[in-house]
Amino acid sequence: MIVTFPHMGNVYVLVKTLFDEMGVEYIIPPKCNKRTLELGTKYAPEMACLPLKINIGNFIESIEQGADTIIITGGCGPCRFGYYAEMHKEILAGLGYNVEIITLEVNEKGIPELLCRLKRMIGGRSVSSLALPMYKAMRIQTAADKLEELSFRIRPREIRKGSTDAIMQKYFDTVKTVYGAKAIAHLIEETRNLLLSTEIDKDYAPIKIGIVGEIYTLIEPFTNLDIEKMLGNMGVEVNRSLYISHWIKEHIILGGLHMRKKQPFEREAEPYLKTAIGGHAQETLGNTVLYAKQHYDGAIQIYPLTCMPEIVAGSIMPSVTKDYDIPVLTLVMDEITGEAGYITRIDAFVDMLRRRRQIKEANNELVLSGH
Amino acid sequence: MNSCYLGIDVGSVSTNFVLLDDNGIVLKKLYLRTQGEPIRILKEGLTEIRDFIGDRYSIAASGTTGSGRQLASLIVGADIVKNEITAHAVAALAVRPDTRTILEIGGQDSKIIIIRDGMVYDFAMNTVCAAGTGSFLDRQAARLNIPIEKFGGYALKSSNPVRIAGRCAVFAESDMIHKQQTGQCLEDIINGLCEALVRNYLNNLAKGKAIESPILFQGGVAANVGIVSAFERELKEKIIVPENYDVMGAVGAAILAREETEKKGYTIFHGFDIIKSKYEAVSFQCSHCSNCCEVVELLADSQVVARWGDRCGRWSNAKEQKRAAG
Amino acid sequence: MFKKIGIPRALLYYDYYPLWHTFFENVGAEIVLSDRTNNKILNDGVKYCINEACLPVKLFHGHIVNLIGKADCLFVPRMKSVARNEYICPKFTGLPDMIRSSVPNLPPIIDCEVNLRKSNAQLKEAFFEAGSFFTEDKARIWTAAQIAMEANDRYRKQVEGGRLPAQILENRQVPDNDGLRIAVIGHIYNLYDDYINRGLLGKLYENGARVFTPELIQGGIVDGNAAKLDKKVFWSFARRLMGAAMHFAEQKNVDGVIYLMSFGCGIDSFIAELCERRLRRQTDIPFYLIVLDEHSGEAGINTRLEAFIDMLKWRKRNDSDLSAHG
Repeated sequence: MIVTFPHMGNVYVLVKTLFDEMGVEYIIPPKCNKRTLELGTKYAPEMACLPLKINIGNFIESIEQGADTIIITGGCGPCRFGYYAEMHKEILAGLGYNVEIITLEVNEKGIPELLCRLKRMIGGRSVSSLALPMYKAMRIQTAADKLEELSFRIRPREIRKGSTDAIMQKYFDTVKTVYGAKAIAHLIEETRNLLLSTEIDKDYAPIKIGIVGEIYTLIEPFTNLDIEKMLGNMGVEVNRSLYISHWIKEHIILGGLHMRKKQPFEREAEPYLKTAIGGHAQETLGNTVLYAKQHYDGAIQIYPLTCMPEIVAGSIMPSVTKDYDIPVLTLVMDEITGEAGYITRIDAFVDMLRRRRQIKEANNELVLSGH
Repeated sequence: MNSCYLGIDVGSVSTNFVLLDDNGIVLKKLYLRTQGEPIRILKEGLTEIRDFIGDRYSIAASGTTGSGRQLASLIVGADIVKNEITAHAVAALAVRPDTRTILEIGGQDSKIIIIRDGMVYDFAMNTVCAAGTGSFLDRQAARLNIPIEKFGGYALKSSNPVRIAGRCAVFAESDMIHKQQTGQCLEDIINGLCEALVRNYLNNLAKGKAIESPILFQGGVAANVGIVSAFERELKEKIIVPENYDVMGAVGAAILAREETEKKGYTIFHGFDIIKSKYEAVSFQCSHCSNCCEVVELLADSQVVARWGDRCGRWSNAKEQKRAAG
Repeated sequence: MFKKIGIPRALLYYDYYPLWHTFFENVGAEIVLSDRTNNKILNDGVKYCINEACLPVKLFHGHIVNLIGKADCLFVPRMKSVARNEYICPKFTGLPDMIRSSVPNLPPIIDCEVNLRKSNAQLKEAFFEAGSFFTEDKARIWTAAQIAMEANDRYRKQVEGGRLPAQILENRQVPDNDGLRIAVIGHIYNLYDDYINRGLLGKLYENGARVFTPELIQGGIVDGNAAKLDKKVFWSFARRLMGAAMHFAEQKNVDGVIYLMSFGCGIDSFIAELCERRLRRQTDIPFYLIVLDEHSGEAGINTRLEAFIDMLKWRKRNDSDLSAHG
């Protein structure tokens, strides 16, 4: 049994740690690329959302390298993601691939079924043997996410342009080649130190932009034009509202134990969207409000074309923009995304935020100097 | 010798040149078809500019904008490279400092820019859908066998515009053919097309945005009186078409370039000798990773001047690196 | 207290109008229904609703606009789940918030939440909340709720007994044809809104066809078929469509299947695909997907529909020729 899984940003760090520790044989799909998307677009339904299409591409590219089992997480609605696995099965079977798909979810058959599936994933060993590796993997994912977060703060301030990119690129290239939790943790720590020792302009006060929207397109750089890097290199500090480690902690661990507490974003979203509607619609609206309250200069909402929850959030967003005076740029991603047009828009958005900041500062000075 | 400021807007349909004098007056404007050959057209435009200024003026700043702004900036030596949204806003504000809304419809894309207190407050840009752009009108004019310059005039003669369905160019076209076959008169069909374009534009771009006067209409399509009138009917506001509506992006680039050089005290404009250089943009597919980026390499007299198009930066960050070394 | 309540003739109107109507009538409300979908409603919908939404949700916005000024309040329940462990489309759940943010000059909106995912108990709350806007008499509300539930049951039985929602709600005539047997699968608001589907059912009737829709199939049969899937389709309405398609695939009792989908429908992007794959795998019944959006012209749909019917007739003739000779 050789397992594989879909890409979603840096989630392979978590999966790799887990499988390394468990001694499960696995294949990390090739980094999402044009061919991945081409394969997905060719075989997935035309109006399916972008993540499903890219998943299909990931699977085919892994199968070509010898994978025979696919691990994915699932769900039970209302977002389409909950039915992904069934679509994957249909499409892959239709193409003649003989692969097993193991969906990790608590469905109508309850927890015992999930345990059964976990057991199958680790080749029949007892599920309890997963506990420690899972714990380690979670810790490493948290560290990996924090590392990316740090890079978003360093990049706009770096003195020598490209130094953050170089450090991160080396990390991404290396992390796939080291083995086991200890080595990965070490690499992350090493990279962190490199970032911290990067020469930065401490007095520079960059424009700050919060990134909100649908989690997959937020996390997977292939689907968002590597927006954090792009903005960082334009001298903008970025804060991303969703991370894999955070999602797992909230939805799988605390959610599973029914210990999830109401989050600040939910309180802020409620006046605009009263209940959770699936996906990350409340996160999108609530986090935008939070960014505004933290004096961010603007926010960018990203989601895949036809994404149901984000369409709702997008339709309500103008009210948030108006109430909190925070500019929001919306980027809807699909397979025919013309990169140039998006770059122009992002560029103009940053220009606009800079100009707004200047005027605001000028006004403040006027007030302070008593005019 | 007096100073003047050069602005260049390289779009996919047209490449526009503007020369501003010290008072911000347009000394010269050029509107050239890009024809998929931006380098040749750039040289052609520069030659014409050179011949125009002779020894009367010197170029004190140059700026580029439009989808080909990077390429153009490398060739001419631009003091500033700006996206076309900011450029259009700056140009509009120079014409009317109290501008509150800019409608811009170009050949391949369209934009709306909301201005408040003299700065960009909100904007939207459409690049995917053709039904709200100039090339859609060009195509329909050709199909109806009417010169595009006369298109608007026909629309004004209509008393009862036909409703053309479609916010998508393909569907609008088939609906128009259908209406033609049912024998509707040409003026009404043309007016219907103008209304459809305006409706599409507003539905696609203006949703949730407060369109307030003064409203400036820029871009090549602003020449079309049919569209102007359809906007006025739909918005119930007066539409202002500035004198240099068709080259406002270039005007903005020139203004921004001037501001930039006044700040830093010098220009990096390469001068007109570059016309004699042989420029060549070649592209190759990088095979380092599976992204297979299409990397563009700009050569001046066989020397690599710049590379772009790679996602990881391995080429664009290493200008002097030889391609074979990758 | 309110007197007049406006109900949009869109989306779940086709599923729940008898229930809503009976309930509000019995708490003393006067009911104002929006007009049948028309051009103005479509235009308003497209104008106010976010571009990325599907056509039915856009039309819903148009129906809301149609009701402004005609009623004291509007009924837009927050529909989250209509059955245990099932959901419906997230856009339905967010509908009241979408409307509030997008449509100006709204009267108050009654947006009681309906969420039966965990139990039916919540329904009672919803009734009391909605009723409280018209009467303080709790007993009256509860009686009205009982009568409404009965009306709802009667409506379901009528439909399962063979009467289409459009016949019951809109007095549409359905001829007693015995020609081609054609299944039309699609969301209820796409099947029975003649404007949205350009009179599709009517055209099938004109061609002598007998039409089968998912609503006409007994609930038990739908459930039985849907239960055969590896994983439960957790959207209630989509489960009905899937179960119906599986029923047709199993019984092979229709000559053709048309799936009516709205452009941008997230759920149909999966379900239409699954239905098609299953039908093609298990049968050789022709399957035809019609995608509806605001720019689908009537002419285009007619052409395709005619061709599909011709093909079915042809195939049928061939089949009977064979059997006559066999």
